Amino acid sequence: MKYYETLYLINPNLSDEENHDIINRFNELIEKKGGVVIRVDEWGKKTLAYTVKKFDKGYYVLLQYCGDGTIVPQIERAMQLDERILKYQTIKLSDHENPEELKAKAEENGKADEQQSGDTEKATSGEESKSGNDQEG
Amino acid sequence: MAYGRTFHQNGNAHGRFKRTYHRRKVCKFCADSSLVIDYKDPRTLRYFTTERGKITPSRISGNCAKHQRELALAIKRARKMALLPYTTSLVR
Repeated sequence: MKYYETLYLINPNLSDEENHDIINRFNELIEKKGGVVIRVDEWGKKTLAYTVKKFDKGYYVLLQYCGDGTIVPQIERAMQLDERILKYQTIKLSDHENPEELKAKAEENGKADEQQSGDTEKATSGEESKSGNDQEG
Repeated sequence: MAYGRTFHQNGNAHGRFKRTYHRRKVCKFCADSSLVIDYKDPRTLRYFTTERGKITPSRISGNCAKHQRELALAIKRARKMALLPYTTSLVR
């Protein structure tokens, strides 16, 4: 199966429930068309580099999935028709992948990321306190 | 210093020597394998753009041809998803 990644932008003025509705809708659509969802990563609301449909913020969602080549136009068409989606971009990550292996890997990485992010948060807070001291000195 | 002066004099005599600084640049991505080119990471990509949002040429950034190509592609993808600007307006 081919391994794809779609990054899409949701209207920033929607509630959390509506966002989750949209995300679940696309996940279900992929599984209905014979694909496998590997990972869904919500980046949250971010400031855009330029205005898109008169919005200067957007809710980013990264969706990684496996499927054959016919699945991508179907997903993109659904996104095109949905007015709550501002932008989307699909990129093929690799041609032949085993979805189960990828899923296992994604879970491992997810755990590792959580641990790492905890560490980095500590590290950055440490740096901040240091820099604060420097300014005082 | 002495060598430099003679070089300079020679240059004057022939009229075409130019003193050029030649600092060797190394591709950042070749030197550091932990740096990955990814369109989803605008912070790294921003380092390789000018204030106006243009892609820095490899003769300035020192990137090798292979990585410059990958970088340019990543920046263009990031622009499409509004992670990086196409241009910056003068007002800002």
